Amino acid sequence: MAPVIEADKLGIYFKRNRRRHKRLRDMFAAEPEPVVNKRGNAKKKSQKAGKFWALRDVSFEVQQGEAVGLVGGNGQGKSTLLKLIAGVLLPDRGSIGVHGGVAPLIEVTGGFVGDLTARDNIWLTAGLHGLGKREIARRFDEIVDFAEVGDFLDTPFRYFSSGMKVRLGFSVITTLDEPVVLVDEVLAVGDRAFREKCYQRMNDLLSGGRTLFLVSHNEGDLRRFCTRGLYLRGGSLVTDGPLEDAIGQYREDTGHSRQPPQ
Amino acid sequence: MAGQVVTARIGTLWDNRRVLALLVTRDLKVKYADSVLGYVWSILEPLAMAGVYWFVFTQLMTRQLGESPYIVFLLCGMLPWQWASASLRSSMNALSKDSKLVRSTNLPREIWVLRTVGSKFAEFMYSIPVLAFFAIVNQAELSWRVVFVPLAILIQAMLLTGAGLLLAPLAVLYGDVERLMRIVLRLLFYFSPIIYGVQDITRKLGAFGDLFYLNPFAGIIELYRAAFFPDQWAGWTPVAVAALISAVTLAAGIVVFRRLEGTVLKEI
Repeated sequence: MAPVIEADKLGIYFKRNRRRHKRLRDMFAAEPEPVVNKRGNAKKKSQKAGKFWALRDVSFEVQQGEAVGLVGGNGQGKSTLLKLIAGVLLPDRGSIGVHGGVAPLIEVTGGFVGDLTARDNIWLTAGLHGLGKREIARRFDEIVDFAEVGDFLDTPFRYFSSGMKVRLGFSVITTLDEPVVLVDEVLAVGDRAFREKCYQRMNDLLSGGRTLFLVSHNEGDLRRFCTRGLYLRGGSLVTDGPLEDAIGQYREDTGHSRQPPQ
Repeated sequence: MAGQVVTARIGTLWDNRRVLALLVTRDLKVKYADSVLGYVWSILEPLAMAGVYWFVFTQLMTRQLGESPYIVFLLCGMLPWQWASASLRSSMNALSKDSKLVRSTNLPREIWVLRTVGSKFAEFMYSIPVLAFFAIVNQAELSWRVVFVPLAILIQAMLLTGAGLLLAPLAVLYGDVERLMRIVLRLLFYFSPIIYGVQDITRKLGAFGDLFYLNPFAGIIELYRAAFFPDQWAGWTPVAVAALISAVTLAAGIVVFRRLEGTVLKEI
């Protein structure tokens, strides 16, 4: 069977000095001023134009129904990889192919507009992710019930508490019929009761044959859902194998023992 | 190669036309439903500007430009210009204004420019009753050339979409674009046949005035204005030039937008 996600020699870079060289006037300026970093040291010009490869030469394939956990420290490229899969960043090298749509639980609350009510936001976000009017109408109550925001449907979104915002976001995105679900740390927010509901919802998605990509620093969450692990370090894919191998390698690199404490 | 890119992108956009409609409707809803003066706001600016020019040129001075009724003549140019300048101005923050939405949805990114041009077009349509009102009051006669208006809209939509596709990514990458455009728009206003007509240019500048047709708004506004002022019709040359420039701008916009898309997504 054809893989659902294919990454081939994937690479993306960011500029170190994001704004500096982008000014039009720099094109006409004779001698660029030395860039001074936070510590007050002048940097050389070669460093100024420096590229920082957030991901480099990452290749993997994911089959339908797999649950993949992304492991790695902060700033090692996990979220960047999810954004590339979601198609909200474009690779500079290599290619990423996703067959079928993606339900991205990245910046879950990002798609919502503060001035619109919860009701309008549900319609807008679900619509932007490709759900038709009839589909939204059919699932509307389900979305509201799951998010437990029934009493605040006509309240502008910006008055919502952060917990409510995340609940609504999670609820809308997981209601989409997309074959690939990307989850970035959203399980960390929300109270215990809601977390249980999220676990339940994710289990349902998995047993429904969805493909899951999970980023988490919580090994418990990773072990609960994922069988396969990808370990990213410095933008490179170090380990691609059973989840325990990826976690083990990560623990080894960070100086922990291979075995989790009992 | 470029041609393939262009057709493929247009295909994806067509698949997402429902999303585009949703975005435009939301813009209008925000603009009109949530504010008592919503409708008034959108026509106030062109109306005020038209009022000023009408006052200066017909009450203070003896009008030498354009035709009578001058207020109708002005609005025929002012309302389409309002669509143009508003949509060029908002194109520059089409990607940054709703950056969260742009960052969280995998839509063809051109849609954010089309949404801007579309919303401003809807506002332009809403301002037509104002023109109709002044036309009736002044008993301006509608000519058969009113059938050219859809053509004018088509050419202008191509031009604004193309320019928007160029401006949206460039404005994210270069802060200077916005300041530059403020000047360009001001100049373009006076170099377009809005407070005067195409015929005034030919009359005053002679053959040299033909250069004026290189401004696509010459042909576009000529088409609109012919609906009430048949004497302003200067033939198909300005229209053909406008159509050509608009098509080239659109193609360039699609290609440039696609090239800069990846870089822009990292910046917003």
